[in-house]
Amino acid sequence: MRNAVGIRRLLPTVTGGGVLSRVSLRRRARFGVLMVTAAALLFPVINGNDADIDSAANAFAFAALALGLNIVVGFAGLLDLGYAAFFAIGAYAYGVASSWQVQPEWSGFWEPWQWLDLVSRFHTANGDVVHFQVSFWLMLPVAAAIAAFFGVLFGAPTLRLKGDYLAIVTLGFGEIVPIVARNTPSVTNGAMGLNGVAAPRLFGYDFGVNATPYYYVGLALVAFLIFTSQRLKDSRIGRAWMAIREDEIAAAAMGVDRVRFKLLAFAIGAAFAGATGTFYVAKLQTATPEMFMFPVSVMVLVMIVFGGIGSVWGVVVGALLLQILQSWFLEDLSQWLHALGRLVNVEWLQHVELASSIELIFGFILVLMMLYRREGLIPAIRRVAPLSLDEQTAQIGRGGFDRLPGPLPNPPPLAGEGRVGARAASGPLLEVSDLTVRFGGLVALRSVELSVPAQTVVAVIGPNGSGKSTLFNVVTGVVPAGRGSIRFAGEAIERLRPHEILERGVARTFQNIRLFPNLTVLENVMIGMHARLDTGPMGALLRLPANRREETAAREHAREILALFGNRLLPRADHLAGSLSYANRRRTEIARALATQPKLLLLDEPTAGMNPAETLELADQIQSLNHNGLTILLIEHKLDVVAMLAEQVIVLDHGEKIAEGPPEAVRRDEEVIRAYLGRSAAFA
Amino acid sequence: MSDYGVLLQQVVNGLSLGAMYALLALGFTLVYGILELINFAHFNVFMVSSFFGMWALQFLGITGQSRVLAGPALAGALVFAFAVTMIGAGILGVAIERLSLRPLRGVRGTAAMITTIGVSYILFNIILLTVGAGSENYPNPLPVVRWQFGEVTLELKELLIWGVAVVLMLALHFFVNRTRLGKAMRATAQDAEAARMMGIDVDRVIVTAFFLGSALAGAAALIFGLYYNYTSFIIGYTAGLRAFTAAVLGGIGSIPGAMVGGLLIGLIETLGGQLIAVRWTDVIIFSILVLVLVFVPTGLFGRATPTKS
Amino acid sequence: MPDLLEFHPMLEFKAVDTHYGDLHVLKSVDYRIAAGEIVCLLGGNASGKSTTMKAIMGSVAPTRGEILYEGHSLKGVSTAERVRRGIAPVLEARRLFPRMTVYENLEMGAYTRRRGLEFDEDLARVFSLFPRVEERLQQLAGTLSGGEQQMVAIGRALMARPRLLCMDEPSMGLSPAYVEQVFDIIRTINEQGVSIFMVEQNANMALSIADHAYVLQTGQVVLSGPAAELRQTELIRHAYLGELKVA
Repeated sequence: MRNAVGIRRLLPTVTGGGVLSRVSLRRRARFGVLMVTAAALLFPVINGNDADIDSAANAFAFAALALGLNIVVGFAGLLDLGYAAFFAIGAYAYGVASSWQVQPEWSGFWEPWQWLDLVSRFHTANGDVVHFQVSFWLMLPVAAAIAAFFGVLFGAPTLRLKGDYLAIVTLGFGEIVPIVARNTPSVTNGAMGLNGVAAPRLFGYDFGVNATPYYYVGLALVAFLIFTSQRLKDSRIGRAWMAIREDEIAAAAMGVDRVRFKLLAFAIGAAFAGATGTFYVAKLQTATPEMFMFPVSVMVLVMIVFGGIGSVWGVVVGALLLQILQSWFLEDLSQWLHALGRLVNVEWLQHVELASSIELIFGFILVLMMLYRREGLIPAIRRVAPLSLDEQTAQIGRGGFDRLPGPLPNPPPLAGEGRVGARAASGPLLEVSDLTVRFGGLVALRSVELSVPAQTVVAVIGPNGSGKSTLFNVVTGVVPAGRGSIRFAGEAIERLRPHEILERGVARTFQNIRLFPNLTVLENVMIGMHARLDTGPMGALLRLPANRREETAAREHAREILALFGNRLLPRADHLAGSLSYANRRRTEIARALATQPKLLLLDEPTAGMNPAETLELADQIQSLNHNGLTILLIEHKLDVVAMLAEQVIVLDHGEKIAEGPPEAVRRDEEVIRAYLGRSAAFA
Repeated sequence: MSDYGVLLQQVVNGLSLGAMYALLALGFTLVYGILELINFAHFNVFMVSSFFGMWALQFLGITGQSRVLAGPALAGALVFAFAVTMIGAGILGVAIERLSLRPLRGVRGTAAMITTIGVSYILFNIILLTVGAGSENYPNPLPVVRWQFGEVTLELKELLIWGVAVVLMLALHFFVNRTRLGKAMRATAQDAEAARMMGIDVDRVIVTAFFLGSALAGAAALIFGLYYNYTSFIIGYTAGLRAFTAAVLGGIGSIPGAMVGGLLIGLIETLGGQLIAVRWTDVIIFSILVLVLVFVPTGLFGRATPTKS
Repeated sequence: MPDLLEFHPMLEFKAVDTHYGDLHVLKSVDYRIAAGEIVCLLGGNASGKSTTMKAIMGSVAPTRGEILYEGHSLKGVSTAERVRRGIAPVLEARRLFPRMTVYENLEMGAYTRRRGLEFDEDLARVFSLFPRVEERLQQLAGTLSGGEQQMVAIGRALMARPRLLCMDEPSMGLSPAYVEQVFDIIRTINEQGVSIFMVEQNANMALSIADHAYVLQTGQVVLSGPAAELRQTELIRHAYLGELKVA
């Protein structure tokens, strides 16, 4: 199982000890962060060298960029090769807003802005003009917002594209921006670059050219962005992004609005770059198009690949290490090589300048990391403690379970619930009428009719290629319906998108299991709750009491659902879903579907790959689900399971319904037998 | 010269450029057709090959415009230069495939593409560090011969370019449509699993695609040098963008698409530069790239949506 | 066919297990195909039929047990080499090369063979079996109907001059009329000396031409015997409808 950049899933490995080591691990991590923060704060005091501090401040800028790109590439799995465009936008936004570059004529329109101290009136020989002097501190969030807008603008066309095409389109935008900057000298002063960009002022103190104040601003920016990244990552938002990264279709089927969250990733990633652009330009007091071209985008990519895609601290470390490499280590190494050259009297050694070959090194890093360590220096995937013997051996329990976990406290009302409630009580829960679906020239489903009364179990059977999975795909919105109607609780759903259908209470599992392999079992299940939780990006960032309550309740609920499967899943809650056995992965997928609090559950071959004992155990559990109020539509090949569970069986063959009725009747039906065993002659 | 004449001249120039872009796009599309891989390194293989060509000509004693040859000597020199450049480029392409792409063959997602970005960087910077950032004067053994057709001037070197391009494209066409290995390449591009079941050595097919594709890039590189009389470390980037857009416009993975796309982009570049402004041609070309990928990803001749998810 | 080859079955699976990750697909499976026979492998969905095909062609390697072809183990033998040794596949859903002509598809089938006299002989043989194919020689394979594609697919496999033809669900997606034609042709090919191993879901048609049959259910062989016998029994129905409980 691999994610968008092919990162291998890691098997659970030993750390040593159980609960105790986990606690001390967290405490150790906190201590580590404290030490690093102290070191960072004290660095300019200890090392008085202005050039070093300046390099460090630059390094912070790139760490910030790495954090931003990490959100787009690492969290959401969208390979953006034109990230420098947002850097440029933030930079030029501040540059124009605080330099002498743009000087429109003065008019009454500008007076309120002057009153706000954003512009000033300047007398020239040709009349009065406007001088923009927006404060750096104000521009930081404003530039971030402008960049976020462009993030959405550039991201929108890429929504339907697959990985490498998406990368190319973002590359295209990434190139267009600096070229536009170069070709509109009236605004940007073209290739010569903006100059006279005002330095920030804090309480009357002007930053000037001393590196130290910039260092602290950069440090604060990076710290804030680390904080924001971590908060987002460990929240409903982060989970939604990672679900999209791992498996878009499954994410949508579990209620994630892909369009919204992809654009959100682009926007927030761009915002990080925009703010950093403002910082960087304020520090350099100039901006030229060369600072924002493709090599810069690649450099940030190298930083996150090197540090660890998806890992917040990893990309920071990666960025800082590469900057240190470039500004200090290579210089020193070059000096050393010069000396060596003199010693052995080799000409070119005496002249080699390693610092200028930093891009060559980047190239090697990129290739070597992709070949040998795709997860980076500090992988995003954590290690887990081993299982005890008890936890490893599962008891097969018959009889299912008594109760389903109750709904989450304060869940948002299920979409469509209020108005169709009364109507729904009378008719079938799911009604499919005259459904026809075509793929190219092939008719996958032909005029199929299906009616699933509430709180029943209906099974769909049929030979290979009869259209069973297609039926599921159409009902859940993954595949568009050609002709016909699908009604859920009285509401027509054939035009809705998968996550909208999920919101209304239809959940499913997939025939070939679509879990999120690089996420833990618990995270997989919690993604199921995405549509039932409320926390948005601001909530994730601020973690207000309501958000924290919601997250705790969600975690509890998830564990309760896992507990329905005995001790098979719960002890493995923190294991990567990809590392589970085949049968356990099936169970996890069902757990995930249950977490969506569905009214109708579509199970596609849930017992495939299980031995008879496990099959019966799961059959009991499905029966319990039904007894607890769930309506179930089941695709199954094992007819004894069907006989045990289903009240009604529908038989499909070559896309058409050929029989319908209770299991016993269907089994003996001539048509059905012929469909399975095949016609013996052309006109049978 | 009248406006009409200027435009016509630009059409001639555009066709020459287009021929070069077509060759470069062909190499790119051959690999994509089989592996569905966007090979960023291709365009710096092109750049490096132009140096191979330069060194080959210098080896024959031709530097700058100092010596102009004629007749059999000219033909011999050109054949030698093309052979060296194309074979050198082919070997470089195969080396890249073996060393950096083959280990990633089964890996899903964009890992292989990212690797080609890395390789591209490596090639680019090796040249930058060894040869330097200056642009090199390209040896040019071609005599300057011009013909005048009304308001349009046609040079010998343009005829040469068209001639070479046509020959190579015909050769490629012959290869993929008339030879066993060529057909095996097409089969592999359409269904690699089924091809394997026919006993086709898919590995060998991939190596062949890389060799041929890179060799075509080499030919394009030598053409570039002879046409513009210079080369430098940066040419891969500018020509690469055009060729890439050409491949996408024609339909990525389609051989006739790359040929037509190349010519179209060449024309768009010269006419766009003439009618709008040279400094905006990059933006125009990038815009075409983005628009095609977003709205018509199959391009002019391409097949239906790619199979890789 | 009294022949030294009788001492070795043409193809033999000996206690073969396969896995897909940790999923146990084929469970200690035994098959034997004698030279000149038509053997069919029947079973419902998810029974392991496709995996058997893949194991024969070499896309999947057994995790236990061995597969023998004409007495020699196929372990480590590449797909291309297996084709050269005389095993040719007719793939599930045909999988012709859609943008190549019928003729080119046939050429690809003969990839492992030399051009020359044998190629022309094989081509003539294909034409005699499938006159329709000869008519459509220059047409792009992707534009043919399902039944026509199946003809070309079988023809393509025959161009490898195989001794063992492995067919994966030849009746799938075909209209009943074509199904009959295809099975007739399979019988004819077998009479010409080619052994046939056929994976099929349509038990009735398959049993009508096969000599011997195996029935798979969730990766295990639950029934085996002469086709004529199996045709009479109710057990097949039970196996297909997933009712046979396996110990």
